[in-house]
Amino acid sequence: MPILSINNLVLHFDDGKTRAIEGVDLEIEAGEFVAIVGPSGSGKSSLLNIIGTLEHPSDGEIALGNQHYSAIKDASLFRRENIGFIFQSFNLIPTLSTLDNVIVPTVGCGGDAGEYTARAESLLIQLGLRDRLGQFPGKLSGGERQRVAIARALINRPRVILADEPTGSLDSVNATQVLDILTDLVKQQSLTLIMVTHDATVSARADRIIYMRDGKIEGGATA
Amino acid sequence: MNLMRFALNSLLRRPARTILTVSAIALGIAAIVALTSIAWGFEASWQKANDARGTDLIVTRTSSENTMPSPFRAEKVQVVLRTLPHVQEVVGLLSELLSVSADGPPVFVFGWLYDSYLWDHLKLSQGRWPTDDKESVVVIGALAAEMLNKKIGDHVEIEGKSFLVSGIFESNAVVENGAVIMTLAQAQLVTDKPGKVNVLNIKVDGSTNEADLRHIKQQVKQTLPGYIAITSGELVSKNAVVIISKAMSSATILIASLVGALVVFNTMLMSINERTREIGILLALGWQRITIMKLIFSEAVMLTVLGGMMGIFGGVAIAWGLEHVELMRGKIDALFSVPFFFAVLGLSVFLGICGGIYPAYKASRLLPSAALRHE
Repeated sequence: MPILSINNLVLHFDDGKTRAIEGVDLEIEAGEFVAIVGPSGSGKSSLLNIIGTLEHPSDGEIALGNQHYSAIKDASLFRRENIGFIFQSFNLIPTLSTLDNVIVPTVGCGGDAGEYTARAESLLIQLGLRDRLGQFPGKLSGGERQRVAIARALINRPRVILADEPTGSLDSVNATQVLDILTDLVKQQSLTLIMVTHDATVSARADRIIYMRDGKIEGGATA
Repeated sequence: MNLMRFALNSLLRRPARTILTVSAIALGIAAIVALTSIAWGFEASWQKANDARGTDLIVTRTSSENTMPSPFRAEKVQVVLRTLPHVQEVVGLLSELLSVSADGPPVFVFGWLYDSYLWDHLKLSQGRWPTDDKESVVVIGALAAEMLNKKIGDHVEIEGKSFLVSGIFESNAVVENGAVIMTLAQAQLVTDKPGKVNVLNIKVDGSTNEADLRHIKQQVKQTLPGYIAITSGELVSKNAVVIISKAMSSATILIASLVGALVVFNTMLMSINERTREIGILLALGWQRITIMKLIFSEAVMLTVLGGMMGIFGGVAIAWGLEHVELMRGKIDALFSVPFFFAVLGLSVFLGICGGIYPAYKASRLLPSAALRHE
């Protein structure tokens, strides 16, 4: 059974004048690494946003496991429990330390703060940032910042990681390093990774590549 | 890392704005604390002075609402009052706010009936009391002695007449500590009000109960038209100056509260406009809308509580400063209390919540995808 099922998904803006997604059907298996590629404006990020419950589709059905999106009462809670986001521009909070940035998604969850801190430390150590726990994002390299963002995406033990151009702001050395770390972690934890990318070397690492154009899936391929 | 720390971090991120906002709130709260404490202190100080004398009822003109009621001829009224049941003593008192030295501030000059119970509560620290009501001497409060720079053996000039300072006393009431006291006969003579008093103080016997006091009040109303018998608390609370100062304090509370809430509203609205993207990130990371609201309220309340605490210190300092201004010394005695400070802090929290309602609502309604696109 696929972890993610999308049927005839549509996303229109401006009363239908802008058609971001036009009838997308997609199924993604648990533990799969799927790269979504395509030109700018093809609907990749919109699709990612809908999967991440950041946008509501205009039509169609989408479900993560048994959870149909139309039945979700609290999208934030759903995101916190199921989805981890990694952004191109890292989106770290500049006045929080590396450790606190990783803990941010747990704020307001209740639970044991000490346990969250221990988990964040463990993730950062796994990501090679043992010496950077107290540093602020401004003192970190691009690669280090993205590793902090990866740790942040994993802190709530999500089922799916959504990454929007995670290597887009990195040089090739850092991009490769970040991608290695991300794919290793995702495999270790049996997570599903859906990544939007322009970079062919990145998409080549995926289990499957989805091509999008004009809001539609033009084809898929196993990498 | 918890919500409070996150909120504090957000405020510290923009120190200039945080300091300005806290300062504006502190200023408003300081005005509230200073004016309210002075208004209450003014009332309490007069009441304390009346209570300290051991007066049970005060008879005055019905229509008079001055700090010291308008003078009236006392003889006939006194005669009637002495016939009422339980009345032990009826003692006249005359008071004026007068200049007693060329370069000093005006002070209260009290004329008290010689050898009456009114003098009993004062503690003579130096010198002696007047020996009879014909002697041109005054006793002055410790604070008045300091303000006027007078000591035993010096003279004060009141309405062109010189009086020897025969003693210096201390009283629990700041109004008396900052006053000059002479015998009633001398006060009537020097102010050219022979036979007149501002109030008649009634002392009742030990067997008098509340019902008896009410009966005396009723008797005064019936037998002395135009006069009223009231307690010292009632006299003070019908005092026009007390009423005006309380009204000004209430107006200050209202205006300062409105300004405070608006300052918080403006600051938080600016803050969430600048942090739209950050709020989008937090929503994307799974923060619930209620958590975003709690964050904005926490920031708003932190600003107002900090401003409130600074305002309390500032207000106490302003009131203390005003008490020591030459013109005001011995006339006001700011009254502070712990419940009042807690009430002010409560008001600060309330202002934070009021000022934060719309910004918190607006922040919580942001669409994460739109907020993330915000530059």
